Amino acid sequence: MSTRVKVLTGITIYLLVAVALAVIFGSSGKNEAFKPQNEFKLEPWININLAGIDFSINKAVMYLMIASILTITVMVAIARKMQQKPNRTQTAVEVAYDLTRNNITGTNLDGALARRWFPFLAAVFFFIWFSNMIGYLPLPTNTEHTVNIFGLEMPAFALYAATANISIPLALTLVVWFGYHVEGIRAKGVFPYFASWLPSGLEDMNPFGKAAIFMIEVVSQFVRLISLSVRLFANILAGHLLLLFMGGGLAVLLGLSALGALTLPMALAFFLFEVGLVATLQAFIFATLTAIYVGGAVAESH
Amino acid sequence: METLSQIGNLVLTASETAPTEEGGSFLVSPSLGLMIWTLLIFGITMWILKKLAFPKIQEALDERAAKINESIDAAERSKAEADKVLEEYRARLKEAREQADDIAERARKAADTAVAEATAQGKEKREELIEAAKRDIEGETRRSLERIRKEVADLTVLATEKVTKRTLDSEDHKRLIDEALAEVDFTALSGSGAAKE
Repeated sequence: MSTRVKVLTGITIYLLVAVALAVIFGSSGKNEAFKPQNEFKLEPWININLAGIDFSINKAVMYLMIASILTITVMVAIARKMQQKPNRTQTAVEVAYDLTRNNITGTNLDGALARRWFPFLAAVFFFIWFSNMIGYLPLPTNTEHTVNIFGLEMPAFALYAATANISIPLALTLVVWFGYHVEGIRAKGVFPYFASWLPSGLEDMNPFGKAAIFMIEVVSQFVRLISLSVRLFANILAGHLLLLFMGGGLAVLLGLSALGALTLPMALAFFLFEVGLVATLQAFIFATLTAIYVGGAVAESH
Repeated sequence: METLSQIGNLVLTASETAPTEEGGSFLVSPSLGLMIWTLLIFGITMWILKKLAFPKIQEALDERAAKINESIDAAERSKAEADKVLEEYRARLKEAREQADDIAERARKAADTAVAEATAQGKEKREELIEAAKRDIEGETRRSLERIRKEVADLTVLATEKVTKRTLDSEDHKRLIDEALAEVDFTALSGSGAAKE
């Protein structure tokens, strides 16, 4: 039996079992009360309002703080105990550090620019990585549903990630966006910098054509704001939604409890995929794109 | 004016009701407060990492790289040195072997010369000794013959005296006898070979 036949047989059996379970157990009716998106809703825990801006401490702020503390603790602890003969943890951190320094920073920036941007790029990588990773640890954060433990109303354990909220990637993206424009202007001057947005090879074009292309370039610059932030946010959000649906959300939503038996293995597979690949990959992509944008802004020709 | 304020009110109510909507629109509506929180927390994190973590990690990595380079250099140097020493020893060993061969060759030659010299000297000495012995024997023989001749002469004088009963003038007669004796061959007395004749 070839691999293809085996895979197809597996999928067929899986689907047949799903249909059989649905037929045998039936649906207990669609669940209208369960709103999966509310898993990502931010309930203000401590209301803070300054100058009309809502600074309330909520789940996302807590996740940011946890990520920050973890990043600082791990990195500083490792940095203080750097040994010439490293253990496994140190080796892992060294590999990650080397990735940020030589791969992300080194291949896109050089000289003073690399020195200036390396702390930001490395910090962004580690901060996003820790944020993503703690997103896969169940923490008692669900204040919408509480669990009664010995008379205490405890928040239910839930998965959440700071990076699954658009505000956080967007804030970092804004820093990057303004940062690389500033670098470009600093390197070339205001007018030459904006002129450098035009791709090369347009020297013979009439001014209207040039203006049109410049407008496209302006749009593409603004699209970067969305692409950079939404890439990270949507990846993490989608991962968490998949975990939520596969880990029982789908069964609850459709009122098909038996379906949970089939979706749970999928949840495990997605979980491994998210932890093993997506969390690191998205942190890497965010930092690398930042470096590319900065490098592109100061590059001689577009 | 009125329409403007109406629009303004609409926007306000929309923004107020948006987060409380039952849909998922809050997922994609950024919150300024949360963004500021992000910048604050990330800024602190970056600052601490920049001050406390990255320089130390870099320092340790640089130190290790330097140490590795140094070790490699040292190893290369040691190897080059060892090679040089080995080469030198080989050369010296070759030289020593050549010298030894030379010395042995010279010793053999010296020995040969010594033997040849000793042999020659021995031969010479022997010949000398033989020569001396011959001379002695000849001298002795001559002396003996002289003595015998004298004895014979004396005896002859005595015998003649007895026969002639007179004394011969010593000088004259002696001369006569000597002359007579000179004709007698005594050579037979000097060698055994002559005696046989």
